[in-house]
Amino acid sequence: MTNNSETKSVTSRRGFLKNAGLGTVGGAVAVTGLGTAASAQSGEAVVIGGPIQMTGGGAADGIEFKQGLEMAAEEINAAGGILGRPVKIAIADTESGGDDKITSAGQRLIDRDGASALITGYNFGSQIALQNVAADASVVYMHADTARAHTALVGGDPEKYWQSFMYCPSEVYYGFAYLNYIKNLEETGQFKGVNKKIALVTGPIQYSINIANSIKDEATKYGYEISLYETVDAPTNEWGPTLAKIREDEPGFIVVTHFFPGDQAQFMKQFLTNPTNSLIYLQYGASLAAFRDIAGDASEDVLYATNIGVLSGEVGSDFAARYTAKYGEKASPNGGAQTYEALHMYAQAAAMAGGVGEAYDDVQNKKIADRLRGMIYRGPTGSIRFDPKTQQAYSYPVQTNDPSLGMSHIFSQIEKKEENGKIISPTPYSVKEFRVPSWIKM
Amino acid sequence: MSRFSDLQKNLFILAGVLAVIAALPLFITQRYFLGEIVLFMIWASVAVQWNVLLGHAGVFSLGQMLFFAIGAYTVGMMGVFFDISPWLSMPVGAVVAAVASFAIGLACLRLDTAYVALLTFAIVFMVSSLISTDAECFITEGGLCTPLFGGGNGFSGFGDLGFRKLLKGKWILGNYFVVLGVLALSLMASIVVIHGRLGLAFRSLGDSRVYAAARGMNRTRFHIIAFVITAFFTGLTGAVYAAHFRFAGPSLFEFSNLVFILGMIVVGGLKSTWGPIFGAALMMVLVELAKSWGDIQNSLIGIVLIVFVLLLPKGVAGASTKLFGFLKPKRKPSA
Repeated sequence: MTNNSETKSVTSRRGFLKNAGLGTVGGAVAVTGLGTAASAQSGEAVVIGGPIQMTGGGAADGIEFKQGLEMAAEEINAAGGILGRPVKIAIADTESGGDDKITSAGQRLIDRDGASALITGYNFGSQIALQNVAADASVVYMHADTARAHTALVGGDPEKYWQSFMYCPSEVYYGFAYLNYIKNLEETGQFKGVNKKIALVTGPIQYSINIANSIKDEATKYGYEISLYETVDAPTNEWGPTLAKIREDEPGFIVVTHFFPGDQAQFMKQFLTNPTNSLIYLQYGASLAAFRDIAGDASEDVLYATNIGVLSGEVGSDFAARYTAKYGEKASPNGGAQTYEALHMYAQAAAMAGGVGEAYDDVQNKKIADRLRGMIYRGPTGSIRFDPKTQQAYSYPVQTNDPSLGMSHIFSQIEKKEENGKIISPTPYSVKEFRVPSWIKM
Repeated sequence: MSRFSDLQKNLFILAGVLAVIAALPLFITQRYFLGEIVLFMIWASVAVQWNVLLGHAGVFSLGQMLFFAIGAYTVGMMGVFFDISPWLSMPVGAVVAAVASFAIGLACLRLDTAYVALLTFAIVFMVSSLISTDAECFITEGGLCTPLFGGGNGFSGFGDLGFRKLLKGKWILGNYFVVLGVLALSLMASIVVIHGRLGLAFRSLGDSRVYAAARGMNRTRFHIIAFVITAFFTGLTGAVYAAHFRFAGPSLFEFSNLVFILGMIVVGGLKSTWGPIFGAALMMVLVELAKSWGDIQNSLIGIVLIVFVLLLPKGVAGASTKLFGFLKPKRKPSA
């Protein structure tokens, strides 16, 4: 059975090193307990706290983040733990809520569960709440909020926020990366828009607004015009008024930066009842299995991008196969991979630093943070290398032209509703050519 | 006859309750629990004010979280746009909430109960939607867009109460006592209203609106007074919430917050003086226990509410009054 063979490959140390992508900077040796400081560490479990949205609007991703942490913990424990200490995961639900819920969840994990570090995917709220919790308790905090707010906060006060790391680039790169991509599609003759109009639909979260605004601000430079700028509430299932405006003035391109997968799925279903000749780009949400699950046939041919998605190639494909074998075909490796690789990266850094620090132990935790700043970690979503000033992962190809030194900003297109989207850009990860969506009849 | 009036007795009890809460940090040192007590004090203050309005004045308003949010947003906006300390913006937040409540009160409080509830809820929903869907950048700093009312993310990271610098690792104690101070003011105001002349007016209006009107009492006027007073203290509580969490965002308008606080009043006992405080404490403990049980939390709150509405409609306060009445030795009828 597939499951059994997967389990075997996980428990084999060689397989683990390969699968987890630990072939970086000698970290694997330290993690498995052969480091000199191993004796200094007790056999007591290391608690990793996951302040995660397990209920509410962000729950579809939250479940994947939890699974990613659990899978990584199992692998680390099977390989001997962090310098002999097993890893235990504690989760606190942030309820897709504001900073009060997020702060309370983070503090609870530290004080009640004894978490030595906080690792999560993303949370709503201001996206700077947990950095303050981590700073007050001197614990390492790793997240994928994709938030410019993190960059500004950490870059503005690196002394205070030495412990907070965003293991993906911020959202500001999405805007011009999108414009660059559609311009390239047109210039290379892969697609010809019915006109140069872009209809922009955004949501209430800062992430969505920042991306929409960066497209709006740059559009004219790339030869496009914004024909509609619409903000919707979240969650939203009724797209009638927005679609009526789109249909009234047919755009060549539609961009939905409001990223809730369920809302995006409803958008596609309602759009296809009377489609316009527009190329549709959905921000992030379409990368999740929940989107395909709800949208069904309407998910096919949708274009999306993420700067933290599972890549093609040995490491990414292997992870995706093991993840879906473990959690089912409807599980989303794109979500699970995030916390999975963050925990592996933390484990390596802690091992190299001589062990895990407890909360409020800023001496040991600063050593771990130093290791994180100096590492390059290759996980299923690409290479995580932190900008030492902002502690945000570099972006490829936006900030570096070397794919081994930055997290890939990938464009994907959904071919079949049963499968994850196929990467269509950038090289060397693209596996398919762009195809003109079936609803476009020109 | 007792030497002390109801007002005096309740003020003595208040002193005792505050002394107990003030002493808690001597025994509880974990930051998480201190943070949860801070949250308890915040929600208790909101519940106490809502109880005055709903239970005593008989105004069925669902707009309390709007006034809470106005207080919080005032601190957030003054902090982000003008770098003004929360010490200055907190009282401003309370005043802005009171002014807003006066305007809303004039529009709503001439109506009957159900319409007041509908209209106040509609106003909250409208304001919340307007804030959430406002994507226009008011200021942009380093690629970070901040709409005038904060948009979907709200305001965060503004100046705190200053205790982080002063008390270092024990900063939460400073915040703890500031929030306790606000709770004290809120409780004191509620006691004065309930057991003073205003409370008397509310009781007479509740007993017979027609008779009270015949005696020259203007119902709308008294309702607006209650609306403004409770909005002032609810706004002040929202302001201290923002100062503590350094955050004010649209999540404050969420319906679940409204139900949670209403739950505190129902569990504690509507129309009582101290019920909402006990209700707030019980609900906080319940939520804390439910956190360990995963996704059951919201269902559990719902079940508790149903149980109280059906079996203990007067809440803990009503049940304890009944119990004391039952245990109290009955006086033998004199011959």
